[in-house]
Amino acid sequence: MMRWKGLWLAAAAFATLAGTASAQGPRVEPPPGTLGPPPLGGPVDPTMPPSVPSEDSTPELIVDLSRPRVSITSAFQGESILLFGMFDPPGEVVVVVAGPAAQETVLRKQRVMGLWLNTGRQAFDDVPAYYAIAASQPLQRLLARGAGGEILSLEDRLATIKPVGERGGAELAQFRHGLVEVKRSEGLYPAAVGQVAVQAGRLFRVDLPFPSRLPEGVYEVRTYLLREGRIVAAVSRPLPVGKVGFSAQLAGWASHDGPLYGLGAILMALIVGWLGGTIMRRL
Amino acid sequence: MEIYLPIAELSINVFVLLGLGAAAGLLAGMFGVGGGFLATPLLIFVGIPPAVAVASQANQVIANSISSLQVQFRRGNVDLRMGLILLLGGMFGSTAGVWLFTFLKRIGQIDFVIAVLYVVMLSTIGVLMLVESARTWLRRRRNPEAPRGKLHTHYLVHRLPLKLRFYKSKLYISALLPIGLGFIIGVLSAILGVGGGFVLVPAMIYLLGMPTGVVIGTSNFQILFVAANVTFLQAATNGTVDVVLALLLILGGVVGAPVGARLAAKLPGVALRGLMSALILLVAAELLTELLRTPSSPFSLAARQVLP
Repeated sequence: MMRWKGLWLAAAAFATLAGTASAQGPRVEPPPGTLGPPPLGGPVDPTMPPSVPSEDSTPELIVDLSRPRVSITSAFQGESILLFGMFDPPGEVVVVVAGPAAQETVLRKQRVMGLWLNTGRQAFDDVPAYYAIAASQPLQRLLARGAGGEILSLEDRLATIKPVGERGGAELAQFRHGLVEVKRSEGLYPAAVGQVAVQAGRLFRVDLPFPSRLPEGVYEVRTYLLREGRIVAAVSRPLPVGKVGFSAQLAGWASHDGPLYGLGAILMALIVGWLGGTIMRRL
Repeated sequence: MEIYLPIAELSINVFVLLGLGAAAGLLAGMFGVGGGFLATPLLIFVGIPPAVAVASQANQVIANSISSLQVQFRRGNVDLRMGLILLLGGMFGSTAGVWLFTFLKRIGQIDFVIAVLYVVMLSTIGVLMLVESARTWLRRRRNPEAPRGKLHTHYLVHRLPLKLRFYKSKLYISALLPIGLGFIIGVLSAILGVGGGFVLVPAMIYLLGMPTGVVIGTSNFQILFVAANVTFLQAATNGTVDVVLALLLILGGVVGAPVGARLAAKLPGVALRGLMSALILLVAAELLTELLRTPSSPFSLAARQVLP
């Protein structure tokens, strides 16, 4: 029991330090039953404050991750993180993982005199680096019952990204489509909705897959408990993704002190080339 | 065995990279030019971002040329005066090249420019070399005792001002010629991530008229410093030099180069040049197909811009 308590405290401290989980309100646990109905219809806005304050845990929903962070090491090939927890039945669980938002520019190739070259570009603001969703029941059924205001499927989330510039209509739709296509091929927008497995009516678990080509930043893992289509509890956990060890040192060095890194690279090549040449000629 | 490349930001099989390095080293050993013209397109084919492939390849070229230069210097095959003059142009050229690279990257055309430059250059050189080696071979076969002809022919370029005497190369030519050549090689080196030996060596033989013996050592001398300049500038301005990638390519090359050199000693020069031109044409054809073929997806993403 003590170990669990320590774990939660550490997680809470980490969340505060990272300071990214949106709406990190005071730790007042919402009494069940006092929640208003989630907003229905109307324009979807991802910046809208969540209808339920995000907590590290609530009496009704306890969530933890098998690892506190995704560490990109020299041997990194992508990673699968297990999210597990417990909820007060009855209810359904939905998990949304969103990477940090950034501006992405989509380039489009066209055939010009027989050659394929980039002829068009379209920037989008507020594009999540990664977006995955998992649910204990088919998502359409859960969202149709009214929680769609806050829980966004990938399609809904992407409908909110704002194009930069004047382009519109069918051409813009093509670029949107292209963005999803590229992200999907990199494994950053898993097409399938993950399956949250529920055991004994109250324990749940789901594997969150992360590909090898993973943008760095603090990801947000949000877990929702739904009853009759309404969100009754939500738990948000930050999930930092970053390079560690040798990779991190090299990348940090390259970005903070480029000229020195360049000299180091030259020196490395000179030494290895010289030694290699000498040794191989002796053999 | 997969390894994560910290700057390219992807994981890739170690042996693919070692093998690529070895293949490049083999070419370097056989033909006396770096294999960069082959390694860079292959790195891009396996998914390394072109900007990282080019910059890291420049880093690899340094190791390649120092190891070759070790031997060439000992044998006295380096025309230092010619090397320094080439280098003067090379430094300006590579600096301009890195600037141009940064600009093309920003407007999203760097991949296209890299591919087109490769196709144009490789096919020109490949055809020239093929024709030349075929001619030599035919002449030798018809008359094995045929005189080698003049040391070199005189063109308009030999009438340029600023003439300098190059004792080791037995030349009296305008300094503007090697400076201009060095400049062009420098630009190519920066944009394509190659040492430029496959352009420089033929140009030194056919354009400057240098004796074959000193060509390789002298070109390696210029390539070493130009590659170092490109590595430094790419690291300082674009941050695209991946030392892990470069190190794996170098280690592969260290093993490949001596094997290539031993192979080269056993094959006649004409056959060697014929073989090399065929290889060059093959890479050019592959790149051209890439440009002509309908891509699997017309869309790609430029670098992410993390908003403040």
